[in-house]
Amino acid sequence: MLPSMFRAPRPALAAMCLALASCGPPLRYVAPAPAPATRVPPPMATPPAPQAAPPSTGTDQRAPDAGPARPPLRIARVQPLGPAASALVREARAQSARGDFALAAATLERAMRIEPDHPRLWIELGLVRQAAHNYPQAEVMGRKALAVSDDHATQALAWRLIAASLKAQGRPRQAAEAAEAARRLEPES
Amino acid sequence: MLSLLAVVALAALGVVTLDRQIVRQFDGRRWSEPARVYAEPLELYPGLALAQPAVEQELRRAGYRRTESGDAPGSYRVLENRLEFNARTVRFADGVRPAGRVTVDFDATGVSAVRDAGGAPQAAFRLDPLLIGCICAAHGEDRIVLAPEDVPALIPATLKVVEDRDFESHIGVNFEAIARALWTDLRAGEIEQGGSTITQQLVRSYFLDNRQTLSRKLREALMAVLLDAHFSKRDIMTAYVNEVYLGQDGGRAIHGFGLASEFYFGKAVNELELDQLATLVALVRGPSYYEPRRHPDRLLARRNLVLRLMAEFNLVSPAAAREASGRALGVTGGAGPRPGYYPAFIDLVRRTLRRDYRESDLTESGLMIFSTLDPRVQSQAERALGEELGRLDRSTRSHPGAPGVPGGLEGVVVVTEPQSGDVIALIGGRQAGVAGFNRALDARRPIGSLVKPAVYLTALESGRYTPATLIDDGPIEVPLANGQVWKPQNIVPEAPGPVPLVRALAESLNLATVRLGMDVGLPQVAGTLDALGLGPVADPVPAMLLGALSATPIQVATMYNTLANGGFRTPLRAVRAVVDPRGKTLRAFELEAKSVADPAVTFELDQMLVAVIAHGTAAGARAKLPPELVVAGKTGTTSDYRDSWFAGFSGAHLVVVWVGRDDNGPTHLTGASGALVVWTDLMSVIKTSSWRAPLPESLDEAWIDWASGELADPQCSRDVVVVALPKGADPAVKPGCGRQAAGASPQDFISRAQNWLRRLLR
Repeated sequence: MLPSMFRAPRPALAAMCLALASCGPPLRYVAPAPAPATRVPPPMATPPAPQAAPPSTGTDQRAPDAGPARPPLRIARVQPLGPAASALVREARAQSARGDFALAAATLERAMRIEPDHPRLWIELGLVRQAAHNYPQAEVMGRKALAVSDDHATQALAWRLIAASLKAQGRPRQAAEAAEAARRLEPES
Repeated sequence: MLSLLAVVALAALGVVTLDRQIVRQFDGRRWSEPARVYAEPLELYPGLALAQPAVEQELRRAGYRRTESGDAPGSYRVLENRLEFNARTVRFADGVRPAGRVTVDFDATGVSAVRDAGGAPQAAFRLDPLLIGCICAAHGEDRIVLAPEDVPALIPATLKVVEDRDFESHIGVNFEAIARALWTDLRAGEIEQGGSTITQQLVRSYFLDNRQTLSRKLREALMAVLLDAHFSKRDIMTAYVNEVYLGQDGGRAIHGFGLASEFYFGKAVNELELDQLATLVALVRGPSYYEPRRHPDRLLARRNLVLRLMAEFNLVSPAAAREASGRALGVTGGAGPRPGYYPAFIDLVRRTLRRDYRESDLTESGLMIFSTLDPRVQSQAERALGEELGRLDRSTRSHPGAPGVPGGLEGVVVVTEPQSGDVIALIGGRQAGVAGFNRALDARRPIGSLVKPAVYLTALESGRYTPATLIDDGPIEVPLANGQVWKPQNIVPEAPGPVPLVRALAESLNLATVRLGMDVGLPQVAGTLDALGLGPVADPVPAMLLGALSATPIQVATMYNTLANGGFRTPLRAVRAVVDPRGKTLRAFELEAKSVADPAVTFELDQMLVAVIAHGTAAGARAKLPPELVVAGKTGTTSDYRDSWFAGFSGAHLVVVWVGRDDNGPTHLTGASGALVVWTDLMSVIKTSSWRAPLPESLDEAWIDWASGELADPQCSRDVVVVALPKGADPAVKPGCGRQAAGASPQDFISRAQNWLRRLLR
């Protein structure tokens, strides 16, 4: 592990999520330019905005090659979709339910242009691909969702999607691993 | 006698042949219509950060006009913090939007509400997609074909009054009119009146060239008679309305009233007002003689003549004609390259579709093509490129000592949305509005240092390097296959010695990069380039590591799009869907992706590319960019400063810029002095967002010392940079700071972070 002293401010912010979770407004209200600009070159010092903060903190001792498993659930901060994208997701779900997969995908792409790289939209698109029996693309959409999500609930959904897509592609062993990864991230009920 | 028979027989044979030709061509061509290409429609939704004047401008661009009431189809009205418009019926790739009244409310941040006629809130409402071009046949005819029932009755009525009063009764030619014309011509001593019927004019436009010879005249008359015998007057009139030549737009010929109405007045033909309709009829007589920009007085006089005739023959009331005569021409299109005509992008669309469609399907079947172009970004890109090239031209001229022809710089801009691979703007040359050599797709140029990220990605993927690993930038000799020895040089001669990878890439150090590339292997680097989307490298020689390989700007965009998309490669896409004239989707181009590089490793590399702009060769961009905007990219310069490249991305856009010369002459520009300026200008004006992928769980972000690559506390070291490192890959700790670090407890860390957050919220 790096001494915490040298860790760039993003993990620091993640730590703040923990510290302030009960006492402040949701972190997405934090100004998007958290640059400790006095001591460091400005662009460097600009960590991505708070909502991008990873769930990992200094307590995570897992080696990088230990597979997809992650530490137990801490705080899952799900970024909600805005009203426009949400409405389009509802529309897409209805279209997909009717079997109109191309239309549903086009509707989701409209939502993606309004909220680029929102992990929930990648999962929705993956589900449409899955419904259309396009399992390789469903899996890619799941992996893409995983890469852009920073909350465990969404990551679990992404792993579920990946697991189902792998299973449908005839890769049961990898599917089981993905399902296990999802299970670890899901809140224990 | 025999010879007379032979002549008659030959003549009869000639007539029969002509007859066949006419029927075949007329039937075949009557409905030929080029495929029309539409831009991505603007999406209006609550929360859209677009102010009222900007939305109003988009309405005007879509051909809506401001009126008091906003009641007529295609009109809008402006109220305080509100726009109301009467939306037309339009077709999208995924269905038809019916006509209806729409209200858009604004607050200080932009759109606050969108409601339909019944007051019901709309979550997302698409404006009409802009028509951005057509896929025309080689001769460049363009038209919007109108069905007979779509032609407003006043157009044929006016045409008859002005061009051919006996149209309904003659047999294709009008001998009386010819005689009258001859008489007039004789008296005036010059050719004033054609005496041609509408049928003859149609024949001339369809089948013949414009030479004024007697035999051509006879042939034309004969064909007109044959046409009249075979087809109804209504068919002929409809064909004429669709066929008649009404103007020129660069290489594109404007045919028919449907397109002319869009071209000159930016509106559908059924929305034309009386004076505008008369203007179009006036143009029939000679679109270049009456060209509205060059000869407005001529056109105005002829329009008013048309209006007078319309009143005289009771098509309109004298009062209406008088009122219309008092109006200005009000032509918005016309001479010169029209803004909003995008030949480079249309070319990409055409090539996309050429794989699936025959050329004739595209130029004749009236397909609707829904594309990814964002006209707002496109026009910003055109402006940014034009301004910078103009500035560079002037500065080249002011240095007479500089070899090379002054001026003559060319440029390319490609803008994509990384997550979808959508190409939202494309400029293929300096004169963006003029079709020609499409450099964006066809200019294969050495990519210089743009290749380097692939070298570093390969190194990171090997697991033997991190962004903090030191690499020697000292002199290196590479033995070549032919027995010679290659000694690459740095641009700046003094070698800084061992530097961390992040710095070697950010400062584009040649020697370090060659050393790294030789260590990880040329085939591996070539494999990375191919996987990222640049394409296969035929011959991976050592000089490849410094960019001695050629690629087109669109290939470069594909490669960098993969980096911007976190290691997911997606084919660049210009077309969303192809829809036939009946509204059936023939082909949809779905979003596809492929994972070609580990997301965590790509994150490490992307963070290094952020350092290029923060610390490295592109640091000049920082001053012009919004301070909070996180962007990443790479400069590229080729030998003798022939090519100036910059490829870089934010969270929402990838922009690739190339500046160079067609003759491959030196530009005296580096990537940072030419292309980067255009890139920075564009990135700072388009609405974009920071690059901010979530930190992968397998990585930590850390401050390291720019010179030594050691962990450095920003509290006590000025020259630091953020890198993403695999967990457990702990670099050495910079002396002097290490003692503090050793004494720091997690509690110190939290309290310091709290202070930092408090500063931020203040």
